[in-house]
Amino acid sequence: MIEQTNRERVLQLIDAYAAGDFDKVLSLCSEDVEHIASAPIDILPHLGPRRGQSAVRQMWETVRSRYVERRHEIQALLADGDQVAADIRVYLRKRSNDRIVRYDVAVFYTLKDGRITRIREIMDTFDLVQQVVECDLAALVMEHLPRES
Amino acid sequence: MAGARFASQFRTYLIMAEHSLWRLSRALQCAVNDRHFEDLADLLDEDVDWAIYGPIDMFPFLGARQGKAAVVEAVRQLAHSLRIRRFERETVMLDRDGAASMVRCLLTARDSEKPITTRFAHFAQFRAGKLIRLRVLVDTFDLVEQTLGRPIHLPRIGSFA
Repeated sequence: MIEQTNRERVLQLIDAYAAGDFDKVLSLCSEDVEHIASAPIDILPHLGPRRGQSAVRQMWETVRSRYVERRHEIQALLADGDQVAADIRVYLRKRSNDRIVRYDVAVFYTLKDGRITRIREIMDTFDLVQQVVECDLAALVMEHLPRES
Repeated sequence: MAGARFASQFRTYLIMAEHSLWRLSRALQCAVNDRHFEDLADLLDEDVDWAIYGPIDMFPFLGARQGKAAVVEAVRQLAHSLRIRRFERETVMLDRDGAASMVRCLLTARDSEKPITTRFAHFAQFRAGKLIRLRVLVDTFDLVEQTLGRPIHLPRIGSFA
């Protein structure tokens, strides 16, 4: 059953990524693998769209250079045809000050001939940015909202 | 008589054959746009575990809710603020009791008629045709900027990742 194979492939990828074994991760991906995250790229420039193993690896290396530890919990995993979706809770420890960044991300993987060709991510970016820049963004935004009379 | 029984059985078959996601999707749309909450309430498990992640200070209908009554109230709040104009499912994945999808959605703020375009992902889990767990993830930074009508200016600090 293709769904079972694809599900196992994605679980291998998630584990290898968490272990920082990017060679293993990329061996599970196609040469022209695409990575797309819906995120503010002016603040998190490395999260811009990437295509090809070298560009994707570079992005992951950037993240690894700033965080010393990564843990994850898979909250939900679904496989249907050539796609697998995972709801993942991620914990990253900042290299600079040991603070933990915790966020949930929905990741949609597309597979072809057993290899991952596309990784698409959606996350609560407002909360992620708050944790990354260590600033109460909601308070900042609310301060500048026009007051209701 | 036999015809009526066949029609009834066929209708039951169609309801059972249809994935719960589609009924939930219709009921949610009807709740948000027409403020009819009965169909939605019928599809929620009494102990439904529901979360739409995002800044609750700005959007009180976001956040975690536990139980049918709390979820219906959250959707009521959402319906008070937004209307769904159009949505396009970019990815839909179904298994027996679960569903995940990525959706591009055009919304309108009810107070200003301001259009808001957003993309969200959801994971739904059903039991006996009722929703027992929902998680929704939205690119909330973009959502806030669109609601404000301007970019968010962050205080300058070194480099981020």
